[in-house]
Amino acid sequence: MARSSIELLQGTLDLIVLKTLSWGPMHGFGIARWIQHTTEEVLQVEEGSLYPALYRMENRGWIKAQWALTENGRRAKYYRLTAVGRRQLTAEFASWEQMTNAIGKIMAARREPA
Amino acid sequence: MRSLDDDRIPAWRRYLRFWRSNSAGDVEDELSFHLESTVEEMLRAGMSPEAAREAARRKFGDVDGISRALYTLSQQRERRMTRAEWFDALRQDFVYAFRQLRKSPAFTAVAVITLALGIGANSAIFSVVYSVLLRPLPYANADRVFTFAEQNGSGTMCCLPYGNFDVWRREATSFEALGATTGSPPLTLTGQGDPAPIPTTRASAGYWKAMFIPPALGHYFTEADDRDGAPNVVVISYAMWQNRFGGDRSVIGRNIMLNGRPYAIVGVASPQYVLYPPAEKVWVPLAPPASRLTDFKDHELRAYGLLRTGVPLASAIRQLTQIETRLAHENPHSGYDGGVAPTSLVEFVVGPLRLRLYMLLGAVALVLLIACGNIASLLLARANVRRAEMAIRGALGATRGRIVMQLLVESLLLGLGGAVLGLGVAIAGMRFLTSSPANIPRLHDAALNGPVLAFTFVLAVVSSILFGLVPAIRVARLDLQQTLRDGGRESRGAAREKLRRALVVGELCVAQILLIGAGLLIRSSIALQGVPAGFDTRNLLAIDLQLPIARYAEPPQQEATFQAIENAIASVPGVRSVGRTQVAPIHGFGWDWTAFREGSDGHDDGAVDSNMRSATPDYFNALGLRLLRGRSFTRGDAADGPKVAIISRGLAKRLYGEADPIGRRIGNGNGEHPGWREIVGVVDDMRSSGLANDVPRELYMPSTQWVNRSQTFVVRGAVPVLGLVPAVRRAVAGVDPMLALSNVSTIEQSIDDSMATSRFTTWLLGLLGATGLILAAVGVYGVIAYMVAQRTHELGVRMALGATGGTVQWMVVRQGFVLAAVGVAVGILASLVATKTLQTMVFGISPRDPVTFIVVAGVLALVAVIASFVPARRATRIDPLVALRGN
Repeated sequence: MARSSIELLQGTLDLIVLKTLSWGPMHGFGIARWIQHTTEEVLQVEEGSLYPALYRMENRGWIKAQWALTENGRRAKYYRLTAVGRRQLTAEFASWEQMTNAIGKIMAARREPA
Repeated sequence: MRSLDDDRIPAWRRYLRFWRSNSAGDVEDELSFHLESTVEEMLRAGMSPEAAREAARRKFGDVDGISRALYTLSQQRERRMTRAEWFDALRQDFVYAFRQLRKSPAFTAVAVITLALGIGANSAIFSVVYSVLLRPLPYANADRVFTFAEQNGSGTMCCLPYGNFDVWRREATSFEALGATTGSPPLTLTGQGDPAPIPTTRASAGYWKAMFIPPALGHYFTEADDRDGAPNVVVISYAMWQNRFGGDRSVIGRNIMLNGRPYAIVGVASPQYVLYPPAEKVWVPLAPPASRLTDFKDHELRAYGLLRTGVPLASAIRQLTQIETRLAHENPHSGYDGGVAPTSLVEFVVGPLRLRLYMLLGAVALVLLIACGNIASLLLARANVRRAEMAIRGALGATRGRIVMQLLVESLLLGLGGAVLGLGVAIAGMRFLTSSPANIPRLHDAALNGPVLAFTFVLAVVSSILFGLVPAIRVARLDLQQTLRDGGRESRGAAREKLRRALVVGELCVAQILLIGAGLLIRSSIALQGVPAGFDTRNLLAIDLQLPIARYAEPPQQEATFQAIENAIASVPGVRSVGRTQVAPIHGFGWDWTAFREGSDGHDDGAVDSNMRSATPDYFNALGLRLLRGRSFTRGDAADGPKVAIISRGLAKRLYGEADPIGRRIGNGNGEHPGWREIVGVVDDMRSSGLANDVPRELYMPSTQWVNRSQTFVVRGAVPVLGLVPAVRRAVAGVDPMLALSNVSTIEQSIDDSMATSRFTTWLLGLLGATGLILAAVGVYGVIAYMVAQRTHELGVRMALGATGGTVQWMVVRQGFVLAAVGVAVGILASLVATKTLQTMVFGISPRDPVTFIVVAGVLALVAVIASFVPARRATRIDPLVALRGN
C-alpha cells in the first residue's frame, strides 16, 4: 500500500465507480487499476470493498453486469452504466461539486467567525 | 472460498448456469479473476509466486467476508427478479385475458351477470348469517353467561318462581352475578305528547351485571334500586333517549311519568341491548315485594347467571341442582323436579335460528353451484372455438401449466367482475332481507362490512376455480398436431360433450334438491294455514290495556273500570261483541296452573299442567269458542261469590275422562292451598299458543275473581274491525283519557306475525329454488342447442335420407329428456338425504313427502323437455342442402 493515502468519504466510491464506467464497460479488476492509475495512487481503495459497492449499484439498477471474455481470452464480469446510472452520475457529481465548493470557501476564509 | 492455489474453476459448475443461476459460483469466479489478475501483475513486476499471492490477498482485503457479503447481495437480487418476473407474467395474463373477454362480449356479459346474481345472493345471505350468528354477542362476558331452565320430567320450564330465584341468588356461590327479568305489560308514558305505551322489561340489578354492556349514559340498577319500596327508577333505551330526549345528556336524574307515577331516569342503556327494532323500551327494577319471595310456584323469571372466572359450568349446575332438588322436595307439584338445564347465551339468542339460516346459506350456495355449472359448460363450448388459439400457443412453446394458468386468469377475471357487480346485488338483497318482518334478532344490523367483503372475494376466487379449472385442463390437454391439421376445427369433442352433459345432470340434481326443499316448506305453510285455531280468527281485534296503579290501586275499582270500558266499546256501532281476558290466545301463554282434581292426592295423573286465563261472560262468544257443556260465566259470578271455573275439553278429558266434570271441584298446586273452584262449563280446545304448537289445556276464571291490572279486549266486528279502532279509542278515552291502548292488532295479524320467520325462510327458499330451476333450464338449453349446432351436418344427412321433421325433433328432445331423467333420478336420491335438515321446519308432512317429490320431479322433467324443444324446432328447419354444402 502507498504510504500517503486518503481515506474515501462515504458515498464517494459510488461516484468514482460510476465515473469510471462512463468511459465504457469494465471489470472489477480494471476499475480498481484505473482508479489507482488515474489518481496516481493517492486514493487507496481497498480493492475488496469495490465489489460490494458494485453489487449494490447493480441491485439499484445503476449498472448492469455481463460475463464476457477479456483480451487474453479469460472470463470476466463486465459492468456497464445503465441510463439510470448515467443520471445518477450527473446528480452525484453535481452535489459533489457543491460540497467541494462549500468546503473550499470555508478553507479559504479570511475572517474570524463572529 | 476456494484456495488460490487451486486456480482452476471446475468446469461442471459453469454448465450449471445453463439451468439456473448460480450466485455462489459467480461470486467466486469474479473474485478469482480479480486475484489472479493481481498475481499476474505482481509476477510481471518480478515477485516470486508466493510473495505475489500474499501481496494480492493483502491488497484485496478480507476475501472470505467480502465473498459472503456479495453472495447475500446477489441472492437478494435474484429473489427480487423472480418475484418481478412472476408479477410481470401475471400482469400479462390479466391483460391478455381482458382482451380475450372483450373479444366475446356476449359470453362475458352472460357469465358476469350470472355470477353477479349468484355471488351477490350469497353475499346478502352471508351478511345476515354474519350479523345474526357469527358476530360476537355484545355482552362483556358473553362466554360465561348462561340462562337456566328448571326441568320438569322430560320437559323444561322456561322460568323460575320468584322464591326459587331468591334462594338461588342467596345460595349459588358459583356465580359472579345472577340476574332475572320478566316481561311486563307496556308502561304508559304520559307528559310527552299523547300517552304512549312503552315496551317494558322488569330487570334485577344482577341482570345488568351478568349481561353487562357499558351504558351509553348514567348507570344501570344497583342493589339498592332493586328493592321493594325503593324510589322508582328507570333505564331507558338508546333509541328512546334519541327520539324523545334528542340525546340530551342531562336526562339523567330527570323524572318521566310512567303509568301516572314519576320514575327517575338513572341510565341510558347501550343501543346493543336491543335485538329487534323498533327499539323504544324501558327497564324498571324487578324489586320483588316480600310476599312474592315466598312464591315457589309461578314460573315467571328468566334467570341469567354469570359464572365466576374458573368455575366450570358443570359444578355450577351441580350446585343449582342441589338447591332445586331441595326446593322441589319442599314444594311438590310446583312444576319442577330438581333438574336444571343451562343454555349458553349464544344458543339462547340465536340458537333456534341457526339451522334455518345455515339452511338458507346452503341453498344459496347451491344456486351458485348451478350457475358455476352453466359457466363451466359455456367455457367448454368455447374451448372448441379456441382450439386453434391454444394449439398455436402450445406450438410456440407455452407449457400446459402456462395455458391452464392463462385460462384460469380469464376465469378469475370473470369471477372478480361478477363479485364487483354482485356487491350491488348484495346491497339490494340486504335491504330486502333486513326490511322483512321476520322476527330475527340482530338482523337489522346486517351490512356490507369487512367480513362480508372478504367472503365475497373468497367466493369469487373459489367459484372461478370451480367453473374454470376443469375446462382449462381440458383445453390444455388438446392434441396439438391433430388440431393444427384439422385447421382448428373440432374432431374429438365427444369427451367434452360427455362432461357438459354430466354438468347439466348435476345442475338438474341440485335444482331438484332446492325445489324439493322449497316445496316441503311451502306445503308445510299451507298445512299450517289449514290448521283450525279452534275459534273464529277472522275479523277479531285484540287490544291491550293497562290501568296505572297510581290511580287504580284497588281490584274492585280496576274491575269496575274495565267493565265500564267494555260497555263503552260494546256500544260502538259496528261492534258485534266484546270480551275481555288476561292473556289473549296467540298473544301469549296463560299463567301456569297445576290443575288438581278433588279426591286425588296430587301424586297421580290428577295433577295436570295447564294455562290459566281470565274471562268475562261474553269472552267465549266474542272469540267464537264453542261452549260444550254447562254455562259461560255470568255477571252473577261476583268477586265474593262462589269460586267457579270453566275448563277446556282437553283438560276435562285428562282429569275426568268421559265423565261429566260439571259441578266437580278443581284445585291448584299441591293440595295445601288448593283454592277449590267449581267447574261450571267446558269449552272447546283451541291452539292458543300458536298454530304450529300443541293444543294447551286451559282453565278460565271469571275476571271478577282474578283481577289483573292489564287485560286484553277482544272485539268481534260486524264490519271490518280495523276500521273500528278510532271509535274504540274514543270510547276508551270517554272512560279515562289518560289510558293508552297498546298492541292493537287483529288476531289474524298476530297469527301472521307468529309465522313471519318461517314465511321468510319459505319465501327465500322458494325464490332460490325458482332461480335454480331457471339456471338449470338454461343449462339444458345450452347443451342441447350446442348439440344441434354440432350435428347440423348429420341431421341434414338424415333429413336428406327422408327423416321427417317430427323424427328429428323427437331425436333432439329425447336427448333433453334423458338428461332430465338422469338428473331427476339422482336428485331424488340426494334429496332423500338433504331434506333431513328440514325435519324441524316441516309441519304436517314428512320431510320425504311423496307428493312434493313427485311434483318437483315432474316439473323439473317438464322444464328440461321444454328447454330442449326450442333447439329441436330449430333442428327441423335445417335445410339439408345448406347443411351438406356447409361442411
